[in-house]
Amino acid sequence: MKLKRILVILLVAISVFSLAACKGKETEVADKKDNKPAETKVDDTADDKGKDSNEEAPEPVTLRMAWWGSQARHDKTIAVIEMYQEQNPHVTINYEFYDFDGYFQKLNTLVASDDCWDIMQMGGNFPAYLNKILPLNDYIADGTIDTTNTTEAFLKTTRYNGVQVGVSNGVNTYGVAYDPAMFAEAGIPEPQEGWTWDDYAEICKKFKDELDIYGSSKFDDFAAGCGSGISQFGLEYNFYALTNDDLGFDDYTFLIDYIQMRADLTAYGAYPDPGAIAEIKDIEGDFLVTGEAAMTWVASNQFIALSEAAGRELNLVPIPRRTKDGPAGSAIQSSQMFSISTDSENPVEAAKFLSFFWSDDEANKILANERGLSIFSNVVRALEPDLTPEQIKVNEFVNLIGSYETGEVNPISPEPSQEIQDYYKLIIEKVIYGEMDADQAAKDFYDFAKSKFQ
Amino acid sequence: MKKVKSTDGKRISSIKALIYNETTAGYLFALPFIIGFLGFTIVPILSSFYYSFTDYSLGNKASWIGLNNYITLMGDKRFWNSVYVTFKYVLTSVPLKLIFALFIAMIMTRKTRLTGFYRSLYYVPSLIGGSIAVTLVWKELFSRRGLINQLLGMAGIGRVSWFGNQKVALIPLILLTVWQFGSSMIIFAAGLKQIPTTYYEAAKIDGANRRKSFFKITLPCLSPVILYNLVMQTISAFMTFTQAFVITSGGPNDATNFYALYMYNNAFTYRKMGYASAMSWIMLVFISIITLLIFKSSKYWVFNESDKE
Repeated sequence: MKLKRILVILLVAISVFSLAACKGKETEVADKKDNKPAETKVDDTADDKGKDSNEEAPEPVTLRMAWWGSQARHDKTIAVIEMYQEQNPHVTINYEFYDFDGYFQKLNTLVASDDCWDIMQMGGNFPAYLNKILPLNDYIADGTIDTTNTTEAFLKTTRYNGVQVGVSNGVNTYGVAYDPAMFAEAGIPEPQEGWTWDDYAEICKKFKDELDIYGSSKFDDFAAGCGSGISQFGLEYNFYALTNDDLGFDDYTFLIDYIQMRADLTAYGAYPDPGAIAEIKDIEGDFLVTGEAAMTWVASNQFIALSEAAGRELNLVPIPRRTKDGPAGSAIQSSQMFSISTDSENPVEAAKFLSFFWSDDEANKILANERGLSIFSNVVRALEPDLTPEQIKVNEFVNLIGSYETGEVNPISPEPSQEIQDYYKLIIEKVIYGEMDADQAAKDFYDFAKSKFQ
Repeated sequence: MKKVKSTDGKRISSIKALIYNETTAGYLFALPFIIGFLGFTIVPILSSFYYSFTDYSLGNKASWIGLNNYITLMGDKRFWNSVYVTFKYVLTSVPLKLIFALFIAMIMTRKTRLTGFYRSLYYVPSLIGGSIAVTLVWKELFSRRGLINQLLGMAGIGRVSWFGNQKVALIPLILLTVWQFGSSMIIFAAGLKQIPTTYYEAAKIDGANRRKSFFKITLPCLSPVILYNLVMQTISAFMTFTQAFVITSGGPNDATNFYALYMYNNAFTYRKMGYASAMSWIMLVFISIITLLIFKSSKYWVFNESDKE
């Protein structure tokens, strides 16, 4: 008898629970309907929330934040987060950090479940996440994000169709880092500004001959062969069209040389094979750091982390060109930015933290331009007195690249970019394993990339 | 659950009848499973079926495009490559694993004091086998300077670039699967115990050697268990994901780009949810057909004692 009574209670409890669950779902759907169509409306409600918490004693707020990067970046960012939490005891920031691939895999699952981090690091691939990015225009207008010490031109680098998707964490450009001591040991002259891809290939092979190491560690093939590689044929070309709905060049043969060179170098043993490349997980594992290669591809801001990891003196040189006097194909860009997600419940607090992160002198002394040269003049001034030799190298390098003439540059990766980049990697491997020749590969890849925009 | 609620609202007598009904308790106990099955299995399955006919990409609205995803798939070279690689993997890893499991299980049937200990020891890899940690260990073992290459170097064979050579990249992944033979082994061991020893004694008296009694007694008597293991292992082999995801990320040259991995990349890297849903449905149909074929074929090779009587 007792058992049956328990049964009844259980049944009732379950039906109540399931009713409640259904109801919960309904309201959630309703919420979404309210929020989705007009993004400005989200801003309004967000502002209201912010005002409330300003007038009363600050309520405890928890923010979630994530980024990708190297160990040096993790350490520095965490230090700044702790600094902010000390100054603002009501804010708790839960942070997560990943390597680049892991970051976007995680983010994609969060996008699918409408549960993005409040503060998320974003690169040139942000258009794919536009629905999840909260416009910062209003926060900049009302001063929540202090932009008095930066310029319109810098803010523009992270604006898309009038929407301020974020504020740049700093600017950078690509270069090649190398170990001068290794060059001396092998008796090879160090690369100079204006060196060509032929020079690069030559140097790689020499290192294989002389020291039996890779001449070059992993290059960012897509950035080298497509991003910069295409622009090196002429300032009017870009890999992606400026409108981001097409490719920016018509001649697939532009792609052949780089693919051919990569296959040749791999066959020669002067460049790591795909298996060895798969073993590089982060900067700390780069073959230049481990001493198995003499050069590596690097984003200028990562040069400091690279040097720290290597523990040796490294130098920085612009990427090789197609011809000695031809276009450099590199330009200054926003390395990445922080954005606030539309899933955030406390966008105002997130904006306040970011303002601190971007422009506070003390915070940036810790960050030390690791994410790229700060776009805030006060930060640049504050850092000036105690720059390390590596940081000076980076600053000079960025200024050098900044002095190059460039065409109109497209820093944004359109939505199918990830798939296109993966395919580029695959096609290079096909040439390495002799399944195609470079001409077929270039044609195949061009058609594939083109088909993504039709 | 619906039924419970609708009758709930009627007369009290019917409520009583319902509560005192024996099946109610049964359903009640099964309820956690039913809720989970409906919420986490049926709903996603059905919605993925719907999405497979749309161009749904993460963060965007889905719109109906009919059979387009399926048509595109038929012309997708990477898709066909992933089918090929997966088949190669299933056809090698499953038989190897089963043979190995059976072999160890047979050794374990010998009664020694340490049998129990060894059996648990061999089961350990299956407990931790699917985890990321072991996969990472595997990656280290087969890396350029890993233990395997050092052993090969000492043996004078020289280093092999396991994950840099598309011809051998699949081997470490197959070995990892074969190494996780524990659960099949336990099932085999249980099956072996069921075979009456009198059969073997009779065979021995008739002059059968060990090999003969293995093929004439052990295998036929064990065939239902083999069928079960074969089906389970085949299904799980088709869905293999972790090894390739962690160790090779599909490379080199897509030589380890398993079906499940390519599907995952389409969904979560390229964000093409609709396309990935179509892939998952093809996979479902595929696995169903193969399982069906195995079952159909079983009447030719599975020995059933009840048939004989």
